[in-house]
Amino acid sequence: MAQQILVAVIVVIAFAASVWKLAPARQRLRALLALDGWAARHPRLAGWRERRLKPRIQRAAGTGCAGCAANVGVRPHHPPR
Amino acid sequence: MDAVVSTPSLRVALIGVPNCGKTALFNRLTGSRQKVANYPGVTVERREGERTALDGRVLRILDLPGTYSLSPTTLDEAITRDVLLGRVADAPAPELVVCVVDAVHMPIGLRLALEVKRLGLPMVLALNRMDVAKKRGVHIDVSRLSTELGVPVMPTIAVKRGGADALIEAIQPARWEHHRRTTAPVWQDATPEDAEQTQADLRGLLAAVGYTTPRESPWMARFDAVLLHPVYGLLVLIAVMFIMFQAVFSWAEAPMDWIDGGMAALGEFTAASLPEGPVASLLVNGVIAGAGAVLVFLPQILILFLFILALEDSGYLPRAAYLLDRMMGGVGLSGRAFIPLLSSFACAIPGIMAARTIPSWRDRLTTIMIAPLMTCSARLPVYALLIGALIPAKSVGPFNLQGLVMFALYVAGILSALIVAFVMKHFAGARQYSPLMLELPDYQWPHAGNLLLGLWERVKIFLSRVGGIILALMIVLWFLSSYPVPPDGATGPPIQYSFAGRLGAMLEYIFAPIGFNWQISIALVPGLAAREVAVSALGTVYAMSAAGDDVAGQLEPVIAATWSLATACSLLAWYVFAPQCLSTLAVVKRETNSWRYPIIMAAYLFALAYVASFITYRVVGALA
Repeated sequence: MAQQILVAVIVVIAFAASVWKLAPARQRLRALLALDGWAARHPRLAGWRERRLKPRIQRAAGTGCAGCAANVGVRPHHPPR
Repeated sequence: MDAVVSTPSLRVALIGVPNCGKTALFNRLTGSRQKVANYPGVTVERREGERTALDGRVLRILDLPGTYSLSPTTLDEAITRDVLLGRVADAPAPELVVCVVDAVHMPIGLRLALEVKRLGLPMVLALNRMDVAKKRGVHIDVSRLSTELGVPVMPTIAVKRGGADALIEAIQPARWEHHRRTTAPVWQDATPEDAEQTQADLRGLLAAVGYTTPRESPWMARFDAVLLHPVYGLLVLIAVMFIMFQAVFSWAEAPMDWIDGGMAALGEFTAASLPEGPVASLLVNGVIAGAGAVLVFLPQILILFLFILALEDSGYLPRAAYLLDRMMGGVGLSGRAFIPLLSSFACAIPGIMAARTIPSWRDRLTTIMIAPLMTCSARLPVYALLIGALIPAKSVGPFNLQGLVMFALYVAGILSALIVAFVMKHFAGARQYSPLMLELPDYQWPHAGNLLLGLWERVKIFLSRVGGIILALMIVLWFLSSYPVPPDGATGPPIQYSFAGRLGAMLEYIFAPIGFNWQISIALVPGLAAREVAVSALGTVYAMSAAGDDVAGQLEPVIAATWSLATACSLLAWYVFAPQCLSTLAVVKRETNSWRYPIIMAAYLFALAYVASFITYRVVGALA
């Protein structure tokens, strides 16, 4: 039974991680911004969010699957054609 | 027009012509590791970094795409102009501009500096590559240049530790806080008279500072005589690619065997150490069989990138672009498409973004649409797995047969891209010819440090993918392949009764005509996240199909024993075309600002993949 519970927890975490990793970077940033109220109550986790998580997502935005795109996640600029 | 926002920190923009060393300087100033290479057009989007000034204030440093003028002809040049003018959302105009000028080829960079100076923004001129300039006998009176321009001029060597110390001193916020503008600068495109005036000013300036042109190296001219020759040059290009793919198979054999053996031993050890149950099954069949199946291809990926990084650093790539311009023009592609398409061999995403350097929208769109047909590094594990399983490791003359097949697959990707470009040209009608204008950089020996750093970055990226998204997906796939458990009295392997087994059976109806069994059909689904995930998925699915037997690190023999040659060839054909990468489609939407093009791309690539696999399966099946 203990094995079943452990495996269930691992699978749920893996599923959540897959959904998070496959979501577009902009959606992930939006989700982080939606957690502002929560962040106010948990300053230590909020600090981790600002220092580590957000920059990582910003770097991921617009980079290739192999991480080799030559830019950071800035919103693309589309001048008129 | 946006007003410049005054903040305690200082916004500094690096600007200069392409390939003058802006990004190397940016990395030196900010401690970043952004991609640098010896060809123009590497940076196509602004980047931001920070540096703490000596007084503790923050310097916000912007690296901008290279441009020859503030009257842009391409999208990346327009980004540079628009950032300088404060026209870009979330990016106020910089408060200080560092104009980076390659000291070896000073006139072309100085011309841009004169234009930037006209904007009225505070400016420092960084005279980069001073070491190379001295070696090649270039004379520049730096203090006179500073006097004539009316701005500080700082010699720099961006690739050398301490090579930007003088520049760092010159851009301290305390020096510039009284020069901040309260309004964004205004620019009007130069008239022919303005251009003539700038040219006259430039000539006067060069004479005043005593600029002498660099000595041409005799061996460089000899190299170019061969490498730019329409026949010999093409032969050299084919030989370089050929050697690259031979090396991918020949050199990687020993380290791959070590990893393979290590994963198999780890699987056996884990199975022996843990009591039988779901935890042991998850670790052995999900984690080790799944992640291990793709980890084994790390040496091959590193060898491929060693060649790509060395070619990027050497200055050869723009010459290859020049060489192929005529051929690419014949199918409706601009010669400028070469670098984006070449970048796509690493990953289609930077290739699609690099298409910003193409001035014509139609040419750019064609390049974007065919970029996924270039064989990206994520396909390498799939190709290597199938080739390793079904092609004997024997020699054909001096060549390795497996390397030859890999080369053929890369060529198939290139040829299909050219055919699609030709068809697109046909449907798009008459197209304006845009000639290739490309500055050929100097040849240089690849820096060992750059190569090692590039390979180390590649190792980190690969391992973080294996330990991140691939691991997570494999755990989910293990669950879907394990539950629900088979009913009492079931005779087949348990996976057949699981969620994944049922999904595979449904998908098999679609994929059976092209020879895919239900295991392949299952693997294609998580493979949509990224191509190499399909290899991990096959590892997990076959481990589960083996009803508890350990197949970690033994995927090749299982495939060799259970797949027909026609099925393997059909899957190879599928991977030459199929858009098995959601990130690529997302970036196409981002770059074209429309959902139309990613939808068209996905539709045409899936159709091509299905048709190609169908034909391959039938033809190989008939021949075999």
